[in-house]
Amino acid sequence: MSTVLEQIEQQIARLQAGTVRKNVGTIRTVADGVALCDGLSEVMYNEMVEFPGGTIGIALNLTEDDVGCVVLGDVSGLKEGDEAKTTGRLLSVPVGKSLLGRAVDALGNPVDAKGPIEAKEFYPVEKIAPGIVVRKSVSQPLFTGIMAIDSMIPIGRGQRELIIGDRGTGKTTIAIDTIINQARINRVGLASGDPKFRPVYSIYVAVGQKNSNIVRTMSALEAAGALEYTVIVAAPAADNPANQYLAPYSGASMGEWFMENGMDALIVYDDLSKHAVAYRQISLILKRPSGREAYPGDVFYLHSRLLERAARLDGKGSLTALPIIETLAGDVSAYIPTNVISITDGQIFLETDLFNQGIRPAVSVGLSVSRVGSAAQVKATKQVAGKLKGELAQFRELAAFAQFGSDLDAKTKNQLDRGARIVELFKQPAFNPISIELQAATLWAMQNGFYDGIPMNKVAAAAASLREFFANRKDALLGKIRNKAALDAELEAELKQGCNEWKPTFSA
Amino acid sequence: MSRHGKATELARTLFKLSLEDGRISSERVGAVLAWVERHMPPRATAVLREYKRLVEEEIARNRAVIEFAGDISPSAFEEIAEAMSRRYGRSIEPVPVPRPELIAGVRVRVGCDIFENSIFSQLGILRAFS
Repeated sequence: MSTVLEQIEQQIARLQAGTVRKNVGTIRTVADGVALCDGLSEVMYNEMVEFPGGTIGIALNLTEDDVGCVVLGDVSGLKEGDEAKTTGRLLSVPVGKSLLGRAVDALGNPVDAKGPIEAKEFYPVEKIAPGIVVRKSVSQPLFTGIMAIDSMIPIGRGQRELIIGDRGTGKTTIAIDTIINQARINRVGLASGDPKFRPVYSIYVAVGQKNSNIVRTMSALEAAGALEYTVIVAAPAADNPANQYLAPYSGASMGEWFMENGMDALIVYDDLSKHAVAYRQISLILKRPSGREAYPGDVFYLHSRLLERAARLDGKGSLTALPIIETLAGDVSAYIPTNVISITDGQIFLETDLFNQGIRPAVSVGLSVSRVGSAAQVKATKQVAGKLKGELAQFRELAAFAQFGSDLDAKTKNQLDRGARIVELFKQPAFNPISIELQAATLWAMQNGFYDGIPMNKVAAAAASLREFFANRKDALLGKIRNKAALDAELEAELKQGCNEWKPTFSA
Repeated sequence: MSRHGKATELARTLFKLSLEDGRISSERVGAVLAWVERHMPPRATAVLREYKRLVEEEIARNRAVIEFAGDISPSAFEEIAEAMSRRYGRSIEPVPVPRPELIAGVRVRVGCDIFENSIFSQLGILRAFS
């Protein structure tokens, strides 16, 4: 009862019987989602400005003569002469675990019709990235569940790894598979009761996408049981460009809450190309000088300050970022792609040709890199996958040479055969992430010749069959691999026995 | 939409020439207008509009528009003007404007700043909580 009385007293105190001071201005023009205001002499950059009817804007252009405010919401109720007043607050979004399983807009308002979100804390949308001293180097793996990536382009917690490729090459699928895999690992880890286990929470930021795509993504996450560990921040194509501009920063704030509270989070920005386009639109309407490809001069800073917020902090948690960039005709040397490539700690490049050839995920091993590298790999993966990248590079060289139809020696034929089998092995269906222990088993079998003699077009099926066999009958062995994270002589012997038991069960 | 460009620059220059001891001088404003009429600079209408906006802003900075409801003694307006002058460090002239919608209390506007202590604003705050 005393708490109730305290609440009432607080409400009364808020009425502020004293004089209230506010700084105001007048709308001069409203067009294309931007209100130009006179006055507002004390407005700060990025401050929230309130218009009649509770409409909120952000002051983005502070010039000598006027203030350009990007309106977040419906501009149809605003007109010339309306009063605008400063709020003294920067834009903030709700953060916390109450957002998990929910879909929100760029301002943190729920859009999934599941009721209000009871958030206890709010973080500012724009925040300075952590400094150098508070960071820790990336050494913990973040398993995507995609064999081609976990074995050759490993990602660590706190890393920024760009996913780049043309339209329809599977960029979003890789991101969704990663989120689904984190949920799977979370369930297994939390069920094990291991006090050292750290779950990874995911944030998926959809910028400028079709609403149907966002719904499809949510359905895929829900079907895989991943939605309960995920926050969806939706700024679809129908949203105004201001919301599309803010959405990645809002998502970063939500991720930072996990990071600063000792937890690990993964954030996917899908995609930053559309984010840059939305920012270009806002900048041009604000009459800011345009540069290359009509982008404003600070388009690099747009992405650098966003991606620098992903980090691993000493004594706290981590935020891993998977930004997505869409290229046109495979041109990675375009303006925005090169900007983001230079910011991130590596890229996963997806090629249309590989996709059309049926190699999915269509990862171009030659052009993809992880600058963190094996520092983010468990020993088991290093043992079985250490030489794969080199073998595939040799295979690609020889494959180009072999096209000329000359007679090949036995060694070359062996290398070509091995490379082709590795390529087949890495084919993986969508929304089907593979655990790291099964990946280790699959690759160990390949390194020890258990797929030799199997027709090339059956290799992928053989690998799937082996994984099913081990999942159903060798669960204890998989548990040992998962816990030890390395293959010692005992485990290798058990793997050999398991593969020998599997081989007769698979008919090519 | 932008007011940048040569017309704005000229208007700003003319505005600076209209100030005497930091305040708008009606004589100088007259001289500026006569000059514009004589020389008719390019985009003269735009120049004059921008000039008018700058002069209006400057006048509003040095004036306290005191909107009130109910009975208030004339000395109260002087006191408010003195308080505003002390606050802003320049001479502020009071301009009382009766506004019955406030019900009771005052609303003082100096430039972009509004100081309000009226029943109308308190009712607005209550409405926001309902």
